[in-house]
Amino acid sequence: MPLDIDRYAHVSSPIQRWDPRLKIGALGLLILAIALIKTLPVAVIALILASLLVVISGLPLGFIGHGLSFVTIFLVPFFIIMPMTYPGEVGLHFLGLPFAWEGLRLAALIFVKAIAIVLCSFVCFGTSRFDISMIALQHLKCPKVIVQMLLFTYRYTFVFLEEMRRMQTSMRARGFVPRTDGYTLRTYGNFVGTLLVRSFERTERVFKAMLSKGYQGEFHTLVVFSADATDFIKAVFTLALMMALLALDFGGYFHQAIQAWY
Amino acid sequence: MHISDGILSAPVLVTGFVGTGIVAAATLRNMDMEEVPKIAVITSVFFVASLIHVPVGPASVHLILNGLVGVVLGLRAFPAIMLGIILQAILFGHGGVSVIGVNTLMLGGGALVAYGVWQQRHRFNMAKKEVVFGALAGATGTISSGMILALALVTTGEAFFATAGYALAMHIPIMIVEGVVVGACAGFLKRVKPEALAGERP
Repeated sequence: MPLDIDRYAHVSSPIQRWDPRLKIGALGLLILAIALIKTLPVAVIALILASLLVVISGLPLGFIGHGLSFVTIFLVPFFIIMPMTYPGEVGLHFLGLPFAWEGLRLAALIFVKAIAIVLCSFVCFGTSRFDISMIALQHLKCPKVIVQMLLFTYRYTFVFLEEMRRMQTSMRARGFVPRTDGYTLRTYGNFVGTLLVRSFERTERVFKAMLSKGYQGEFHTLVVFSADATDFIKAVFTLALMMALLALDFGGYFHQAIQAWY
Repeated sequence: MHISDGILSAPVLVTGFVGTGIVAAATLRNMDMEEVPKIAVITSVFFVASLIHVPVGPASVHLILNGLVGVVLGLRAFPAIMLGIILQAILFGHGGVSVIGVNTLMLGGGALVAYGVWQQRHRFNMAKKEVVFGALAGATGTISSGMILALALVTTGEAFFATAGYALAMHIPIMIVEGVVVGACAGFLKRVKPEALAGERP
């Protein structure tokens, strides 16, 4: 089941001991900074940094591999499309089709950045229990309404996954085989409709249950955060790394190397 | 169809976040306490339903159903989709944190367009108009999302013009699939629980 990102949140590591508010804030900014990188050498440095973070966090590589494989499959077409469709004069032809080195470099840049960002996301959200991460978001000024709904949605996703599995079993038991035809699509339409009808009835019951337990629009939590000096040091260090990456990228320190490359 | 990290340029990413913030704030106004569980529960239904794979020839496509979110939730479809995108980015491990804004504008915008199309059914008096307008809503929701995606790619840089074209072309078969599924679902809901549909007048 691909939904338990916090499966290894209990693993002990410096990242896991980092105050979640500072961790999510700092790593979130780092992710955004990586997204802004425009030069390949800096992107590779960012990837190395992200890999180091993964090693420090103690998350098992097999766990992370699944997400990485998905991103890789999504981005492989870019390695073909970008060199072939890069605008401008094309110097090289490969099997009769235009091939631009610039396009390949761009595809590589995208790929490296995406992997680095995915690794950082794993470190950011895979090292705390999900509900703790959500409360940390609330402390980071995310609107309470949104955090409440995120927690609710998370909770009910598993309920509906079960229900969907049961319904799919009963469909198969009645001889339903998905094909490329209108009948399949209409059946899936009714399937989702049934899930929705059940969910509406559930919402009414959920809301009444909440009211009867004293819900007045506020989510009270027992989660208490306390940040000490180590947490702030980690955050400052991460921000420094972020600034360094942006400075290297902006400053163009690697331009000479890039020009010499091709 | 979501876009992954690493592709879009800084101005596009920022516009995504700012735009999402503005539209989310606008569509979350005057929220009733009762709507919190409703939006959350329906978002999780869509989250789960998007894991359904429909065979399209040799491959399979997973349903997006943002048109259906618009048909069922109306304006609140936008924050609902935002929740779905945020959860996908956090839970799936496929990345997407940097493009939460853009993806939400894309799919949420499509849902709002679908709602607009869906509301036009009040002007007509025909049998099975829910199925027809549901299908139209599903199709227009999908193609609007495709156009926003193409716009994001095109404004990122000239290098992505061709990619934008391919992405838009890929939305055409998806449009048909989504149209049929949403139309069937809207018809089903009309028969079984009409108050589930947005803008139903008793």
